[in-house]
Amino acid sequence: MEIRDKLQELKNRKEMALIAFVMAALPDEKLCLDCLKAMEQGGCDLLELGSPFTDPLADGATIERFHHRGTARGLNLRRSLEFAHKVSDVCHMPLILFSYFNPIYKMGLDKFCQEVKSAGIKALIVPDVPMDEMKIFANTGIEAIPMVAPSSSDERLQMAAEMKPAFIYCVSVRGVTGVRSLPEKEIQTYLQRVKACTDAPLELGFGISRPEQLKAFHSYADGVVVGSYFAQLIEEYESRPALLPGILQQAVAELKAGAKA
Amino acid sequence: MYPDSKGYYGRYGGKFVPETLIPALQQIEKAYAKIQHDPEFNEELAYFMKNYVGRETPVYFAPALSKMAGKARIFLKREDLNHTGSHKINNTMGQALLAKRMGKERLIAETGAGQHGVATATAAAVLGLKCTVHMGSKDMERQSLNVFRMRILGAEVKEVKKGSQTLKDATNEAFRDYIQSFDYSHMVIGSVVGPHPYPMIVRNFQSIIGKELRAQFLEQEGRLPSHIVACVGGGSNAMGVFYPFLKDPVVLTGVEAGGMEIVDGKHCATLSEGSDGILHGAFSRLLQDENGQILDTHSVSAGLDYPGVGPEHAYLNEAKRVKYVHVNDKEAIEAFQKLSELEGIIPALESAHAVAYALKIGKELNAGDTVVINLSGRGDKDAEEVIRYLGGEKHGN
Repeated sequence: MEIRDKLQELKNRKEMALIAFVMAALPDEKLCLDCLKAMEQGGCDLLELGSPFTDPLADGATIERFHHRGTARGLNLRRSLEFAHKVSDVCHMPLILFSYFNPIYKMGLDKFCQEVKSAGIKALIVPDVPMDEMKIFANTGIEAIPMVAPSSSDERLQMAAEMKPAFIYCVSVRGVTGVRSLPEKEIQTYLQRVKACTDAPLELGFGISRPEQLKAFHSYADGVVVGSYFAQLIEEYESRPALLPGILQQAVAELKAGAKA
Repeated sequence: MYPDSKGYYGRYGGKFVPETLIPALQQIEKAYAKIQHDPEFNEELAYFMKNYVGRETPVYFAPALSKMAGKARIFLKREDLNHTGSHKINNTMGQALLAKRMGKERLIAETGAGQHGVATATAAAVLGLKCTVHMGSKDMERQSLNVFRMRILGAEVKEVKKGSQTLKDATNEAFRDYIQSFDYSHMVIGSVVGPHPYPMIVRNFQSIIGKELRAQFLEQEGRLPSHIVACVGGGSNAMGVFYPFLKDPVVLTGVEAGGMEIVDGKHCATLSEGSDGILHGAFSRLLQDENGQILDTHSVSAGLDYPGVGPEHAYLNEAKRVKYVHVNDKEAIEAFQKLSELEGIIPALESAHAVAYALKIGKELNAGDTVVINLSGRGDKDAEEVIRYLGGEKHGN
């Protein structure tokens, strides 16, 4: 299923999208696949699959630990793409790949784009490629999702809108990824400012971990991206792998309860 | 002249940072364009350079070193005599004054050897700014004197226990701090690395070295030097001394750290051994594996222990305007000892790499040649590291 269709379907139901960020193949391939299947069962709508990198400077401490665990085990972009194939075989959620730019560059853009398409990946999030440099992905047939932040100027919001993307990733706060409390009023005003520039769906990320947050942003954003919260649950329960998929399924279901008006 | 308006030096450079950081970089670009040719700003900077940093730094003819090396005459540009002991303060004073113009109250720095951290802490102290320095655990251990200096200067030193526990991960952490706090903080990048406009700003503040050298050498010798040699980690002292000579018939050589040997993880000869890639905000050359993961590096000199290099160096390498070579730990330590014995000057281990290369090529040079080594820093900070190295050698490690 295409991202646009999925998001439209949810919009028609007045339901916020839940996009889960999960690092590929951690704690191990099988457990990760089981977790993803369970999360889809729990109501997760889209999956942002992370590829580990040695120097993830846009990520906070929790996700950084997953990057370093991955690289320490020899995981890399090539293996994340192989894993994405397997995810596509067992899950129906549209798949987004998250990778820092250097591994993509090193693989070579042509080869990378071929692999991305054949793995069933629908879009990319490349956190260290800002909009100015996104022309790299023009004419590859692969869509890169633009990110904006509360500090973005109107000019930057306009740039994002002009890309007519499947969605705009709205970073909630100044800072890196991680669970935190959010200044709701400020974020609502900021989302209104973005909304005024674009028809593209707005997906709010960074700091989201509770259903009440979804409720608070229901009229302002079309969905949320949740990553560090799931990563924390994985760290907490991975020593009991039989429990972990169920825990994540439940966490997704609880969040999704806040997604419906 | 490079960079172009998007921050590119040929095909290298650019701004590869999270979108969240773009507003901060735009603000710096705007503020820098305003002060770059502002007489008031430049007077203030010149005042601090003269009365606080102690510039200009001398150009010293090193007779004994020259004699040992061969026929050429070797000179030292004495950046080691700057306040705080290295060239780093040329940049930190400039950026700290820029930060004040932008209304920032806090400086953030990443540091390897601690020289940039000390220089930033110093600028913060004299200008009444707060300061946080991110430093890897491994570097804190081998540069404990500089950790003490930063703390006594009033800076907060944050230990980075992650990844390589050296400059690379300290830089990641400094970026994270900056992304969260650029409202009131300025990140003082310590080398000609990072996203545009940093490589340009740092080069411009450091080019005081080359400008001075040019005038001094013309006055003393009536001509330009035939060779300039500088060590290259990120490459700020080299860029600073090379930049005013790029259009002159002067042989420019950058000396990287060959570490223990040229094997992955045991050196940091980025330009000699690396490949194209993106790290810390710029497209440049870097040390990486076949999957684009950044490699660990090693050098006896903490200040060179970095897997990347400034994009302008990558450009000058490709354009073949500057020659990049490497010398290993052992050669650098020998040069450290030689310069101390022969001239009574204890160089920083970083600078000792440049000295080692000058000694290496000495035999090939002619009587009329004049070599200037940019002696970027003094070696007091390296005492413990050298004791460890020599002790280990005696015990056969």
